[in-house]
Amino acid sequence: MATQTITKPFTLKYVDTIGFVADQGGRGFHLPTDMVIRDDGRIFVASRSNTTALDIVGIQMTTVEHQFLGQLYGYGRGDGQMIWPSAVALDSDNALYMADDFLQRISVYDAEGNFVSKWGAVGASDGEFDGPSGLAFDDADNLLLVDHRNHRVQKFSKDGKYISKFGSFGSGDGEFNLPWGIALDSEGLIYIADWRNDRIQKFTPGGEFIAAFGSSGDGEGQFNRPSGLAVDSDGNMYVADWGNQRVQVLDADGNFIASLRGQATLGEWAVEYLNANADELDARSRFVAEFEVDVDDPHEASARVESYFWDPVTVALDEQERVYILETCRHRFQVYEKV
Amino acid sequence: MTTVQSKQDVALMAHLLRRASFGATRREVERRLEVGYEATVEDLLECSASFSMPEDIIRRYHVDQSDLRSGPAAGAHWVYRMATTENPLEEKMALFWHRVFATAATKLIQARMVVNQVEMFRRYGLGNFRDLLVNLSRDPGMLMWLDNQDNHKGAINENYGREILELFSMGVGNYTEEDIKECARAFTGWSVVNPDYMSIKMRNNTARPYGYIAWQFNYDEDDHDHENKQFLGETGDFNGEDVVDIICKQEATPRFIARHLYHFFVADEAPVPQWPYEDPKDPEAIDIMTQAYFDSGYDISEMLRVMFNSDFFKDETARFARIKSPAEMVVGTLRLAGGLELPSMETYAAAGVCAQMGQALYAPPSVEGWQGGSDWINTGAYVHRVNFASKALGNPDKPGLRRLIDDIRDAADDGALSAEMLVDACLDAIGPMPALDSTRQGLIDYATKWGALRFDDDGAAADAAQKIVTMLQLVVTTQEYQLT
Repeated sequence: MATQTITKPFTLKYVDTIGFVADQGGRGFHLPTDMVIRDDGRIFVASRSNTTALDIVGIQMTTVEHQFLGQLYGYGRGDGQMIWPSAVALDSDNALYMADDFLQRISVYDAEGNFVSKWGAVGASDGEFDGPSGLAFDDADNLLLVDHRNHRVQKFSKDGKYISKFGSFGSGDGEFNLPWGIALDSEGLIYIADWRNDRIQKFTPGGEFIAAFGSSGDGEGQFNRPSGLAVDSDGNMYVADWGNQRVQVLDADGNFIASLRGQATLGEWAVEYLNANADELDARSRFVAEFEVDVDDPHEASARVESYFWDPVTVALDEQERVYILETCRHRFQVYEKV
Repeated sequence: MTTVQSKQDVALMAHLLRRASFGATRREVERRLEVGYEATVEDLLECSASFSMPEDIIRRYHVDQSDLRSGPAAGAHWVYRMATTENPLEEKMALFWHRVFATAATKLIQARMVVNQVEMFRRYGLGNFRDLLVNLSRDPGMLMWLDNQDNHKGAINENYGREILELFSMGVGNYTEEDIKECARAFTGWSVVNPDYMSIKMRNNTARPYGYIAWQFNYDEDDHDHENKQFLGETGDFNGEDVVDIICKQEATPRFIARHLYHFFVADEAPVPQWPYEDPKDPEAIDIMTQAYFDSGYDISEMLRVMFNSDFFKDETARFARIKSPAEMVVGTLRLAGGLELPSMETYAAAGVCAQMGQALYAPPSVEGWQGGSDWINTGAYVHRVNFASKALGNPDKPGLRRLIDDIRDAADDGALSAEMLVDACLDAIGPMPALDSTRQGLIDYATKWGALRFDDDGAAADAAQKIVTMLQLVVTTQEYQLT
């Protein structure tokens, strides 16, 4: 049995909440699925929205200072448009790559947000994919794409030429069951949220299996359908434990070091809204934010307690390694920092 | 297909599976006949199978079926469940209670609260009626639907007190106006967490700032009226549970529920408002189910068991005597085609067409639910039925359809399927479904222009398969297919 590593004290402190349900347009997001932070602080959030608010399907832009910068493109099948945006990533030139799970294609936008190109073919052969679900660029500026329904990861050049692949269906080392999110650490090692195997797997840049972390469950270090993650410079993994409605932090060896349930507060856009709606503001003054829920299901608990994470889908780190946690069903992200 | 069962056995099993499930192919009917009718009733009541489309898979692909705020998403979510479940009676009973305890997302704004209520029906809908009625009274969606958050000690709102008696248990004529008020007093303090804020959000119809917050039941002891109440001849410091106990003891309660069950599963009854003035269609059937209710200590499953095993249910005159509800028709057709893919936008289309045909899931038109019967059919609704059913059976790659094609092909004689054989094989494979002579002749006339179908080589077989699909599409557009 491996020796348990004694980890140094680790605490994440809540900083802020940025978001708003933009179901009728305007500032905010609607059922977001992924986010990426540019080195100048611009944040891109991909909103899936729903069938009654298709105008909000698109990529919204904001900053952590609550500055809303508009939306890139929208719903449709045309150039730059999207139907089910599932993942976003930035290359070294700050070109934005967006995966569309419905149209089964990658769309590319330049640093100004203009559509550049699109590529992709549905299938299971090399270079084809079925359900692009996670995107990340490696040190060589090649695009790693989580090929969800083909249970593998594929590597492409920036212009969509197939380079290599790893993984296949299964639950053994290096195998996947409907993988979702992806992250790279500072050494270029690859981490995959092996969604339906309830674990994180770590690979060399060449796709060789290194380690697997976690098992099915809701205990410390266990996962229920992990969907996305980020890795900091110490190798700590911040995992969106989607089915357990929490974020868990594991150290570089995979030891559990922290868990977050969410503690969102009213962000700037929310406060402005309530200030303009006196009846809701008044009722909110008698509002019990957190209470004991009478259900065991964490998903339903999250539906009832507004400050909790509700479908935390991905984690992103900024230049200062602050931790951003995107929540699909609450249309926002919460920001934490290490102390 | 080799048939070892009598035509009567087949027809009866098909009848059971149309009513207690969403219909069945001839192949499934044969499989069920191997264990027998009564064992099939037990299996349906047991609801022991575990499979339906997993929630995590649905949420992964359809994010709007995770927050379940919008009507279309919620409707599609239920279609996934109904179309893939191996516990079909559980879903039929969820539909049943959704009709009786009609609660609509149109007022509650977040469909999620009605979805949760229907999930509660799955847990309690085949169990003890007292448990069901207590949980209904604690259901946040129901409480807000009938304004019980405004039912306070010293200032009652009698909406829930009235409806639990009039529409949910006993029916008009079995209690007084005073009983309603006393019932309402017993339910004072039964509300939700943060009632002020939740009421305002519902009224303002806005999910801002962070999406809707789902409601949780809350009992406010300070707001409950602890004075004595006189209810249905009994006196005491009754709380909601006590009132439910008294309601469940009344003979009017199982008679009312039995009449609803009869209407849903056996034959069309008069609209509920006429029940105080019009005898049940089959008083003896109501007596039998009422007796089962008391003998079993209020067990809904026992009422269903005696009903499905009774002569009045099995009678030939009961068969194909009801019009399928939109949900029954749509889900039955999806199950016939099989292979609901994921992600599937078909589920949204299916829920949408149910609404177009007059049955918007999670949004019944009023507290009285859907009457059904002939209300389901008008010219517009019929066109939607025909278009949906025909389209749903249009893809021969669907596994259910593939199996039907294979079964129909097995009816070929010496490698050939005449027009008459084709039509009869199609009618048999999907049920069997008897057709009027005129309907059958019309289908044969259509198929005659093709000549006999042959399966000699791949090309001929593919052509024949396409023609079988076309014939099945025609069969599901007949008026006979609309009946259950």
